[in-house]
Parts: sequence; structure tokens; C-alpha cells
Amino acid sequence: MIEIQVTITNTSGLHARPAAQFVQKAAAFKSKVKIAANNKVADGKSILAVMSMGLKQNTQITITTEGEDEKECSKALEDMIKSKFGEE
Amino acid sequence: MVGVVIVSHSQKVAEGIREMALQMSAPEQKIIAAGGMADGGIGTDAFRVSEAIVSADTGDGVAIMVDLGSAVLSTETAFEFLDEELRSKVQIADAPILEGAISAVVEASLGSNLAAVVATAEGARTLNKC
Amino acid sequence: MSGNLYEVISAVGEMIIGNRQKLTDLDAAIGDGDHGINMARGFEAVKAKLQGMEMESDIGKVLKIVGMTLISSVGGAAGPLYGTAFLRAAAPSQGKTELDTQTIGLMLEAAIAGIKERGKATTGEKTMLDALVPAYEAFQDGANTGKTVTACLELAYEAAQQGVEFTKTIIATKGRASYLGERSRGHQDPGATSSYIMLKALVEYLRR
Repeated sequence: MIEIQVTITNTSGLHARPAAQFVQKAAAFKSKVKIAANNKVADGKSILAVMSMGLKQNTQITITTEGEDEKECSKALEDMIKSKFGEE
Repeated sequence: MVGVVIVSHSQKVAEGIREMALQMSAPEQKIIAAGGMADGGIGTDAFRVSEAIVSADTGDGVAIMVDLGSAVLSTETAFEFLDEELRSKVQIADAPILEGAISAVVEASLGSNLAAVVATAEGARTLNKC
Repeated sequence: MSGNLYEVISAVGEMIIGNRQKLTDLDAAIGDGDHGINMARGFEAVKAKLQGMEMESDIGKVLKIVGMTLISSVGGAAGPLYGTAFLRAAAPSQGKTELDTQTIGLMLEAAIAGIKERGKATTGEKTMLDALVPAYEAFQDGANTGKTVTACLELAYEAAQQGVEFTKTIIATKGRASYLGERSRGHQDPGATSSYIMLKALVEYLRR
């Protein structure tokens, strides 16, 4: 299991298009993906769960990945968030 | 991949929702707008809907998002014009049209089956906005 | 029933178009006020469609075209409902150039079944079925006692008229009018009215 902390820096937060990109990326891996923030935990492969988190810019989230490709998965999601989903 | 059809009384609404949904879709994904009447007027047209369903299907079925009232009746009428095989794999989502369409498109992009795509679209009813 | 099929459909269409405002006003009271506009648009499209095609004597084929045209041109809920009714009525009349009471009975039965299925509705819910179902029953009673087509349709027309009156006494439980609940009482149903108008046009044509 790998746990990382990362801050959402893109302007629109983890909403709509970024949320979709996150879920699509997470689903490409076999590992289980969880997002935790503001005392809530969501399945990182469920678009509804991720959108329901309402994660705004500057929120620090914890991403937990667990499975045979947890390392690659964790890295890919972290890179995606740090790249601001191509927003800027 | 499950296709998504957007049925609205307004052509602009259907196309606008499609435009938003395309932002989140996979490149090969089919999202088809079936809005308004053939003459551009407000209304729903079962033939436009059935054509949209046929274009949206790539073999895995089609989830259909509807707006109000007769959109459901026209869509159900459209089912009658489909061949039996396709008719067995189309489903109307009881979901808000915009949120449902976006959620369905993302779910479909993950390679989920029709039942899962419809369930996710219907789950969009519970999305809080503030 | 003989007579020119095109003239019959044209008579029905003209009466619907002539009642555009009345149907719209009835719908404005308990619905969204577009029934007259939508129905008139549908029958204008039917008129244009029939004028633009070669004369076809197969009644089933013509009714199918009418149904398809209504589906693609009415725009509101009445499009799929009446469109389905005409498509279903086309099946028993397929290949026929004249209609007897038995065939018309089957056509009405199929049309009503189509509307029930499409609208997931039944009688007593303040819909077009409250005019059409009694009309069908009256037609069948007449047919069973050996009356002529015209006589049977007269009976159906009278029953539809009473059906429209009946819709004033009940509350709507289907369609947009159902949102009004108790407040829908006292108003006659626009869908039942348009069904009645079609029968009226038919009977008036036959009386000529």
C-alpha cells in the first residue's frame, strides 16, 4: 500500500473534467485507489464519489493505492495533479 | 464502449451537453445529441432519437439521457424502430440530463457495461452542488 | 366504409387545425398550453406529406404514413401517443381499400392498446383514453348488433363526447395535469378533446 499527500493546485479543483481525468487514469490501473480529504474518503475510480468530494483548489488530499501496480498508479496520479490537469 | 444519447426538447441544449461531455470522453467514444425537431423547433422527435441510438451503438449498447415529459415518450417510441438486437441493449437513465450525461460518459469511458453506466448516471441525482 | 381516404384524413386534419386555439386554451388551463399548436403542426405536416405523394389506396399504408408523420412533427407527448395509435391501427387495415365494422373494431382496439402501452395509462386518469375507450366500446356494441359502419361511428362519437364531459369530473393522474391534483378537476382534458374532435370530423364527413 502506498500513501501520498498532494495538494490540488489547478484553479477549478477536482471537478468535472479534472475529476473525469483522475478517474480515467485511476481506472487504467489494477490497484485500488482511495482519496481522502476533509475527513471523507472516496473511491478514486468512481466519478460520482470523486465529484461528491467537492475538492477545491489548495486542498491537500491523501491518495492511497493498493495492488500490484500501486507504485506506478500512485506516481501517475500524483503527476497528473501536479501538472494541474493541463489547465495552465 | 457504451454509447450515450442526449434527448432534449432543444437542439442547443442537447448539443451543449454533448460539447461538455466530449471534454471528458475517450477518443473513440460515441456521444450523440438528439435535440429538437427536424425544423429546428422545440420538441422531441422519435425518429431523430432512433437514428441517434443507431449511430451511438458500437455493440455494447446505449444509455439515453432525457430532459422532460415527452422526451421519455419519444425515446420509448424510438425503441420500436430499432431492430430487436439493439432494442435489448438500450436503456433510459432516470437521471438529471446534464449531470447524468457527464457521469455516464465518464463511466462508459472506463469500459463499464450498460447497467453500470446507467447506474452511475442515475447516481448523479445525489450530487450536491453546495 | 368507403369514401376517399385522403378526404377523410383531410377532414380530420382540418378540424384539428380549426380547433388549434380551443385545444391550446384547454391545455393552458391544466397543462403546458401547446396541445393545439402541436396537433395542428402535426396535421399540417400530414397534409403536406399526403399532397406530396402518389395516391395510395392501401389504407394501412396511408395510416402508417400518418402515424410516422405525427411522430416526427407534433413535438409534444401527443406525437408519440397519436403516432403510435395510427401505426397500430395500420396493421389490421394493411392491404385493405375498404373497411367493415370488424376491421375498424380491430383498428380501434390496436390503437387504444398502443396508447395505453406508450402512455402507461388507463381509463379514469383524465387522458385521451377517457374518450377513446368508451368510443370503442360503443362502436363494438353497435357492430355486435349488426349496425352499419356509419351508425357504429355515430355511437362512438356520442360516447366520446360523454367521455370528454366525464374528464371534467375527475382529477388527472397522468401527464403534466397530474401535478395540479385536485385543481385539475372541472377542466376537460385536451387529449380527450382532440380524440373526440377526430371522431367528430369522421362522422361529419360520413354524414355529408
